[in-house]
Amino acid sequence: MSKLSKLFMVLSVLSFAVPAFAQGEVASTGVNWVAIAAGFSMAFASGICALAQGKATAAAAESLARNPAARPGIQLALILGLALIESLALYTLVIIFAKVK
Amino acid sequence: MPDQIHTEPDAAQAATAEHFYSGALGRIGGVMGVLAPLLVAAAWWKFGPRPAIGFAFGCAIAYLNFYWLKRVIAGFADRATGAATSQSGQGIVFRFLLRYVLMALGAYVIFTVSPASLNGLLAGLFLPVAAIGCEAVYELYAALARGV
Repeated sequence: MSKLSKLFMVLSVLSFAVPAFAQGEVASTGVNWVAIAAGFSMAFASGICALAQGKATAAAAESLARNPAARPGIQLALILGLALIESLALYTLVIIFAKVK
Repeated sequence: MPDQIHTEPDAAQAATAEHFYSGALGRIGGVMGVLAPLLVAAAWWKFGPRPAIGFAFGCAIAYLNFYWLKRVIAGFADRATGAATSQSGQGIVFRFLLRYVLMALGAYVIFTVSPASLNGLLAGLFLPVAAIGCEAVYELYAALARGV
């Protein structure tokens, strides 16, 4: 898990570094680095949110199987958790729309 | 004997707390229903009709999304606990994925018909977050003021 975290950190740093260094070349090469970075950002956000949702759902399934009597609390926490995790991907989408258009 | 004296109020308090927290999802749905018209009216007054219509679409999609999420999780919990359920596994997965298709379709329609409404649509999708925030504040108030 720590290797995966390091990999995501390195990739996220790289994805932010590329458009920052390429700002001066937009006019000369015509490459829209902002759009490329936006695509990478959305991909990272979607992927990490999917991982988080999968982890939350797996933990809830395990908890429900261990203790079915605790279903109301687990169900509430899972619904709120999934809704908030989805909203994180939406935040990224909103930022992308604000920056790209 | 002293143990019984302390245990009975604790059990009653726990039952009250359980009853209070079990109504959280219903309260969140109610807050969404109250917040949406208020915020649509505010958006209409502040930004004009097009963003307000987009915001109303976003609120409707977010409400439907939250409702389907609740149903999907209920079906999932039925499956995990082995309880009898009327929802099939395929139906649960289909509804879970259909939520994303619905959001993308709504955004595409708004974007092609009226790009000016897109910001409103995106803002409307955050209605559940606002409702959950209101519920968190209410639960904090209940915990501090009423000791629930």
